[in-house]
Amino acid sequence: MSAQPEAAGTIYDIGYRHYDGPRLGRRGAIGAMVSAGLRAVFGLGRSGRSKIIPWGAVVFALMPAVVAVAIRVLAGDLLDLYTYENYLWEIGALMPIFVAAQAPELVVNDIRHHVLPLYFSRPMGRFDYVASKVVALGLGLLSLTLVPVLLLFLGQVLAAEDVAAALGDEIGALPGILGNGLLHAVVLASLGIAICSLAARRAYAAGAVLAIFLVGGVIGAIFTESGGNLREIAPFVSPLAIIDGAREWLFGGAAPQSPVGASGVPLPVYGLATLVLLLISWAILALRYRRISV
Amino acid sequence: MPLISTRALTKRYPGVTALDALTVEIEPGVIGLVGANGAGKSTLIKILLGLLPATEGQARVLDLDSATQGERIRELVGYMPEHDCLPPDVSATEFVAHMARVSGLPSGAARERTADVLRHVGLYEERYRPIGGYSTGMKQRVKLAQSLVHDPSVLFLDEPTNGLDPAGRDEMLALIERIGREFGIAVIVASHLLGEIERVAGWLVAIDSGRLLRTASLSSFTERTGQLLVETEEEADPLAARLGARGIAARADGRTVIVEIAAAAEGEYAIYDAVRDEAVALGLPLIRIEHRRHQLEDLFRTGGDDERAA
Repeated sequence: MSAQPEAAGTIYDIGYRHYDGPRLGRRGAIGAMVSAGLRAVFGLGRSGRSKIIPWGAVVFALMPAVVAVAIRVLAGDLLDLYTYENYLWEIGALMPIFVAAQAPELVVNDIRHHVLPLYFSRPMGRFDYVASKVVALGLGLLSLTLVPVLLLFLGQVLAAEDVAAALGDEIGALPGILGNGLLHAVVLASLGIAICSLAARRAYAAGAVLAIFLVGGVIGAIFTESGGNLREIAPFVSPLAIIDGAREWLFGGAAPQSPVGASGVPLPVYGLATLVLLLISWAILALRYRRISV
Repeated sequence: MPLISTRALTKRYPGVTALDALTVEIEPGVIGLVGANGAGKSTLIKILLGLLPATEGQARVLDLDSATQGERIRELVGYMPEHDCLPPDVSATEFVAHMARVSGLPSGAARERTADVLRHVGLYEERYRPIGGYSTGMKQRVKLAQSLVHDPSVLFLDEPTNGLDPAGRDEMLALIERIGREFGIAVIVASHLLGEIERVAGWLVAIDSGRLLRTASLSSFTERTGQLLVETEEEADPLAARLGARGIAARADGRTVIVEIAAAAEGEYAIYDAVRDEAVALGLPLIRIEHRRHQLEDLFRTGGDDERAA
């Protein structure tokens, strides 16, 4: 316990100091959970290796928008391969990868290493805990589901000869862009956290997310190819196709590659199916976290 | 205002009653919550924290109702659970600062207090390394630090010496004592190890099968019993019999005789003489004669008797 002289001076044991500053209560607790969650989603404060997948996904998600805007700036209006409607469908594979890599980080270790009693003995409840995790992942997902499409939007407007006129033309798409970005983020975050909350290890959680999204997507594609009745139900084996159908129902405009177009099922059914996906996710979360004793 | 008060607090699980109409008032200090494993200590703490709903009855902490004001209570108390509860892949600094913010502290204060508290619990250079590589003793310190980081008014420690070696145990108990006396934080220490509680607590609450056995200051638990303990080298039955013949209440238990002195009409010294004389007459070698003090273990023995009598 001897105080050793250091460059900055000497360290003294000044005894215990009480804290009489502000206590932010439940709001502070939830804020801390969300911001810590966001840092985890993007691998901040962690090793370089844990930044590869989230930031790689963001870069790949932005690339089509960057290329489209660049071509527009350099060569005028040439490329309409990517539209506000089909953009998320085209980069669809990135979202499950992002969720599979980052959602387990948020929830699996807290359960596996029994950290939850520490959280629940703070000024927040189980609902607050789960909600803050879903919000953190959802905010992170917006970097894939909203930011690139917004970039495309800005490019369309700012690269135009007449910015004001272009803004007038494009502004009508903005609510759809925002709504669609939120829709994807909320559904994917809820589903992702729900799946991961059931897994005992992070690797299992990642595998389960990939299986449900990618295998569903592949089966959906096979069903679409095979035609007939299978083509009708094809979108419903793939969560991303269900969300795409809901997007088309809510905001309009088909994504050509999506199995939704090939199926004759009325669009409101996709809205309903999306709602069912959300309710199932939330039911899983409610049951899962109620069952954990502290 | 008592620190903690419960009234007819009951917690029933299917097939098990963990707490059975527990009524107790606890004043600030270092308080030992003692009882065998499964006596209901952890259940009581969790109800007081507002983590578990009580089946019946009421509990108040810092004059706040645990059923309806749990959130406010949890802002002002610290909790160190019995079992492992630390994520392995973050450092102690990072984790404790996070828990400080989750307790409601702004981030600047959280960082400052984290540095303070980790120093107080005795974690230095190693605090920047991932917790996964820590020894049990270091992990217990991190658990204590996270419960202390937001400067709580009350600290609930559930079996804080679990899994520690004797040296680690001593250090943890010294820390707990320091938190209570020097930091001025009320500490509730739940433990099934009476010897440890004896070293740190000034007040004891003993529970058994979810019921209050006794609550009193530590000194009154260990005060003189009004009995004389005579230990002999051989079977003590003849000595007890001879003392009995002289009208002195005595009973033998193996090689010891317990002699009642408090109620004896002829006075303490006459009884000492009688013991000496009879031992000499029997040629029975004595090992020691002493005033018997209550031991914490007696508590549970007596409690068991009461139960049978009831």
